[in-house]
Amino acid sequence: MLDSGKMFTVALRMMLYSKVRTLMALLGVVFAVSLIFAQVGIYLGMMESSSIIIDHTPGDIWVTSKNSRNFDFAQPVPEYLHYRVQAVPGVQWAEKLIVAWSVMRQKDGGNEQVEIVGYNPDTGIGAPWNMRTGSACDVKNGNFAIVDESAMKRLGSMEVGDYRDISRKRVQIIGISEGIRSFTTAPIVFMNYSLAQRLIPYVGPDSTVFIIVKVLPGHTISSVVDSLKRNIEGIDVFSRGDFSYKTRKYWTIETGAGFSFLLTIIISFFIGMLIVGQTIYNSTTEHLKEYGTMKALGAENRDIFRIIFSQAILTALIGYLVSSAVTLASAKLYDAIGMKLVVNWQVNLGILVVTMVMCLMATLLSLRKIRLIDPAILFRG
Amino acid sequence: MGQTIDAQALSKTYKEGSVEVHAVRDVDFQAFEGELIGLFGPSGSGKTTLLSLLGCILHPTSGHLRIFGTDITSVRESKMPLIRRQFVSFIFQGFNLVPALTVQENIELVYELKRVAQRKRTKVYELMERVGLTDRASFLPRDLSGGQRQRVAIARALAADSPIILADEPTGNLDHTNGSRVMNILRTLATDDRKCIIVATHDDRTKQLFDRILYIEDGEISTKGGPEK
Repeated sequence: MLDSGKMFTVALRMMLYSKVRTLMALLGVVFAVSLIFAQVGIYLGMMESSSIIIDHTPGDIWVTSKNSRNFDFAQPVPEYLHYRVQAVPGVQWAEKLIVAWSVMRQKDGGNEQVEIVGYNPDTGIGAPWNMRTGSACDVKNGNFAIVDESAMKRLGSMEVGDYRDISRKRVQIIGISEGIRSFTTAPIVFMNYSLAQRLIPYVGPDSTVFIIVKVLPGHTISSVVDSLKRNIEGIDVFSRGDFSYKTRKYWTIETGAGFSFLLTIIISFFIGMLIVGQTIYNSTTEHLKEYGTMKALGAENRDIFRIIFSQAILTALIGYLVSSAVTLASAKLYDAIGMKLVVNWQVNLGILVVTMVMCLMATLLSLRKIRLIDPAILFRG
Repeated sequence: MGQTIDAQALSKTYKEGSVEVHAVRDVDFQAFEGELIGLFGPSGSGKTTLLSLLGCILHPTSGHLRIFGTDITSVRESKMPLIRRQFVSFIFQGFNLVPALTVQENIELVYELKRVAQRKRTKVYELMERVGLTDRASFLPRDLSGGQRQRVAIARALAADSPIILADEPTGNLDHTNGSRVMNILRTLATDDRKCIIVATHDDRTKQLFDRILYIEDGEISTKGGPEK
């Protein structure tokens, strides 16, 4: 059996010998993989933002208006449904939550559309979970609001104690949350549930937008979802996971964002593959005589494939590591421009696999070239 | 003397479009251990094709080729590397060393490709001593002269310890001094190591070194001459 380590060393030495060519291949991989990292990271960051409140709100089930397509554009439902939901067997508790659109007047004039989240400060269901200044329960007993620091770019600098007009009513900022962005890029403003009802005319005092349900121990989420659907007409009922997925799917498919990201990822993949493929192919062509000689000396095609695969794997690994470092370094830059880059271990692993596949696929033409080496080339001086 | 190669009515025909090209026609010849055979002929006469057939790189179109009694014509294409590994080494006009590997590594690579067991491997130093290159072990091929490179190629063939060595114009890229040195090494290998060496060459100055000379023209061996001493 041929020593794989030796063939790997030969591959490495060949790469180091042709430094410029190797560098070009690496640059190609770094370019393509960094682009893939950025696209996947931004996409996941946006998807995370799109369902961030669903994912961080306690409760197992979300009840909303019929044909709700996502979290951000749900329509109001009668508030009395809250009692009917509470009466369904298997419901431990039910809590109302308003998510609706309004307009905030900026300090220096002009209006900015904001996404209002009205929650019950006594239970904290739907409240901001990551406070930089103040507390989520401070919104009680007054026209108070909490804004996220990511909104400052849109709304201008704000401090606790500042006043702003929302729907032409004066509201005092009493807290600042961190890292709670909406997919729509509209600033999120948290406030007391009853204040939200007052400020948003299309919701009003008799309506809510969501009813969040906690399932009693001993009942399954799916059975309570079925019971709610059976017992109450004119609503949609989702488990938390399903609603989060539905919202992400809406933004991915309905807006074309997913297709756009996917297309860029595919293009990056092929650009990377072409650059690596061309480099490895050129290298194979240049070393064809040496490979032919190896075959003449008794090497089998697979022995030489091993050298070429080793080169592809080395290129992939080094390119991936550099891209990973570039992505890590650029994460702060993305943050500074208000974009969230999600690069978790699953993304790292997935992109490592994609990089490997990309570089291994890039060797296909070279493998064909090796298989069809014309022995006559060995005898040409 | 043991027979190494036995070719009978060996032919190779290529198709170039609708035209058939008979590169080698009905070649009959035998080679033996310890023989240094010169294969002479003009360009395009079929020398290279014949070497490729004898070296089991190409499959003959017809005829029979036996290497140490094994009929190569009945061996499947996929098994040819095994035959080459066991019996044949090559020396090329263009040296064909791996440029990224040092002299020592180029020689060691043959041990891997030929699957030579550790205990059977001759020390690289000894091989390099035989070709007079002990002080060049860590050099890359680009830092060697043509003659030195060809001697590395010979050391590589020695490392393989194949009973048959096929050399294609081994002096073609060398000056007279280096060419003579290379041919003398080959002569010694045939005599002392009992290798069967077939050298395709144009170099008339080397004729006196061969035990036997074959002339090939239009794919046919036209003359079988003895050494012109």
